[in-house]
Amino acid sequence: MSHVVGIDLGTTNSLVAYVKDGKPEVIRDASGDGLVPSVVSIDASGTVFVGREAQRRLLTDASRTAYSVKRFMGKAYEDVGGEAKHFPFAIGGAGTGVVRIGLGDKTFTAPEISAFVLRELKHRAEAFFAAQGEVDNEVDRAVITVPAYFNDAQRTATRDAGRIAGLDVLRIINEPTAASLAYGLDKRHTGIIAVYDLGGGTFDISILRVEDGVFQVLSTNGDTHLGGDDIDHLLMDHLGSGYGQDVRKAVIQAKWDLSDRDETTIDGRRITRAEFETLIMPIVERTLGPCRQALADAGLQPSQIDEVVLVGGSTRIPLVRRKVAELFGKTPHSELNPDEVVALGAAVQADILVTGNREMLLLDVTPLSLGIETMGGVVSKIILRNSTIPATGSEMFTTGVDNQTAVDIHVLQGERELVADNRSLARFKLRGIPPMPAGLPRVQVQFQIDANGILSVTARELRTEAEQTIEVKPSYGLTDEQVEQMLLDSFEHAEADFEARLLIEARNDAESVIHATEKSLRDPDFAAIEQEALAPGERQKIESIVAALKMVLNAKDRETIQKWTKALNDATLHLAEVMMNRSVKAALTGKNVNDA
Amino acid sequence: MSSTTSPTLQVCRECGGGAPVDAHFCPQCTKILSLGRHGDYFAFLGIPRHLTFDAAELDQRFRDLSRQFHPDYFYNATPAERRASLDRSSYLNDAYRTLKNPVMRAEYLLRLEGLNATASATPPGLLEEVFALNEELDEIRALRASGAPRDEVAARLATAREPIERKRDQHEADLKALSAKWDATGDRQVLEALRDRVLERNYITNLLDGIERELSA
Repeated sequence: MSHVVGIDLGTTNSLVAYVKDGKPEVIRDASGDGLVPSVVSIDASGTVFVGREAQRRLLTDASRTAYSVKRFMGKAYEDVGGEAKHFPFAIGGAGTGVVRIGLGDKTFTAPEISAFVLRELKHRAEAFFAAQGEVDNEVDRAVITVPAYFNDAQRTATRDAGRIAGLDVLRIINEPTAASLAYGLDKRHTGIIAVYDLGGGTFDISILRVEDGVFQVLSTNGDTHLGGDDIDHLLMDHLGSGYGQDVRKAVIQAKWDLSDRDETTIDGRRITRAEFETLIMPIVERTLGPCRQALADAGLQPSQIDEVVLVGGSTRIPLVRRKVAELFGKTPHSELNPDEVVALGAAVQADILVTGNREMLLLDVTPLSLGIETMGGVVSKIILRNSTIPATGSEMFTTGVDNQTAVDIHVLQGERELVADNRSLARFKLRGIPPMPAGLPRVQVQFQIDANGILSVTARELRTEAEQTIEVKPSYGLTDEQVEQMLLDSFEHAEADFEARLLIEARNDAESVIHATEKSLRDPDFAAIEQEALAPGERQKIESIVAALKMVLNAKDRETIQKWTKALNDATLHLAEVMMNRSVKAALTGKNVNDA
Repeated sequence: MSSTTSPTLQVCRECGGGAPVDAHFCPQCTKILSLGRHGDYFAFLGIPRHLTFDAAELDQRFRDLSRQFHPDYFYNATPAERRASLDRSSYLNDAYRTLKNPVMRAEYLLRLEGLNATASATPPGLLEEVFALNEELDEIRALRASGAPRDEVAARLATAREPIERKRDQHEADLKALSAKWDATGDRQVLEALRDRVLERNYITNLLDGIERELSA
């Protein structure tokens, strides 16, 4: 059996964990290190480095090395271009809806860079399972975590990264919720928990009620652009020695030092903890507003919180701990390593999905309200923030002019009143509305947010019961075709995955043969053709092979897929000949096939 | 009692057997039922169509049902079962969210009973308070336009809100009493009185939200 893992794809570090005998464990390298720095470097010859090695190259080949790429997931250049000065790599892609990161003469999207990190984690896990003597050491499925406050575009970008890395992403789960799952394992908690998660680039606060093993998120809030990186940037601004990687490294070291000591030096200059705290106070303060909002949304007072859990490396900073303790009036928990707790929770969730173990259940919420644009650029909300997911909402649309057959719908995410102040998710064109006088069609559009927090849309015209087709144009992010192409491109960097590429090609071949066969079988004249030209049982044989091929299609076994594809090709040879002759005959007699 | 227990059945798409409309799993083949014909939120959750309720019991019911058909537990099931689990979970979550909040619950029940609780005109019972408040608000706007200190404006606004907030508290109490009465008697007139209270309460909430926005602008 292939393996399933939980992955914490972090801004600064990433980790992979799995469940062994009901207990989650982080998978470490030979030296016992569980962290893979989320850094990717590509040298002039095209060799890709990931993790520690890439991190070292930050000092020698910074312009070819990307880090903190999570900040760019699901973003457009216009969102983040202003930060470019803080990064040694090129940031581009203006006007395309997707940030492009330039490393040497190549450019990559954030999901592609993240996919390198995911692939590294996959390899680490596979090497680990092989070393354990497992016959099948393949890791092909994963639960990946994201900040709770990630919007639809950011979640989709994360799922795309997983696909590009050749992983079946079983589920996207929220980091604070994952952390609570890991904490809930040791003791049977009952009560209200606040999870405060300040990582390298993102901040989340989630408030949960835990009872009978059900982890029910009551509310969540946060800022997907606030974390340890911002503290580093502040220190670099303060120091005024530029933004080189040597400065960055010194600043990070000083930040760490000041968690244990009262003073340290950066670049020979003395800095005290008091100075540091004054400097970063605005950042810590910025986390408190979302905490208060989350409490208000859950309908709770700080005193009603039973336990506070700290997650993320930035919660090692004493000022952060003090402020959190002050707000909630109690000392926060930190028994588990704040760097590892999210990956452990992801592994637990992966185990639940695969084994169907019902001891625990995560019920998460959507962090942002979902709405559509209405007259005058105002947003009408359809699914409110903090709704438990999966959730649905529906809205009725009609036409403005006679015989109109299409309606444009603009979907947004956010809390503000005006369209311009919210995040545009997608524009939909609703087609196939039966021609009717204006205002008569009643098109019900149903929005569904699944357990990953990702949106899908369906529509139906209620008078005619006609299903509508929907054309989705995501405002930010990649199309499915782009992701497929990236999946293929990414193999150029990893020869070990040659086999995977062959598998995909085998699947594509199989699918096209199935498609062609089914098209023939659905031909309006097929019954007549069968009567006239096919042998008894020929159709049944073809159908059974199609069914068999569909069954093996999702297996990992390329040879079996190819065997059945060939069988279907052989079995349909005669049918194809008959169909071909018919078309030729029809063409010669000048008649349409359907008139024959 | 007004609760309408209809004799309708739903049909299991797996085995073709019939199941009560409020069932979640097929009594014959035990497979999860696709969400076709289904009961209202109360029936779906298996709780009486009441306005007063024990919040802990609703929570418990929600957790129990979540454990029965959350998509997490259908990851290895057939596509039809996965769809059914997603749809049932969505409906369960929508039902829980609506019934958990007393006002949303009242509005939902009013809709089930054919009483519409959306109106935009100032409810007659509030004319006096709203008129006074609007006059007060005009003065406060003028005060702010004249460059008065923020604190002073905020204090005036807080004072202006007081009568309407008192009215709201009174409404919350009325709503509770009327809800209990409806549950006990099922009297249509009680429901109509409740509808008027809900309308007034929503009007007040909108008004206070508007002031809140003005205060923070």
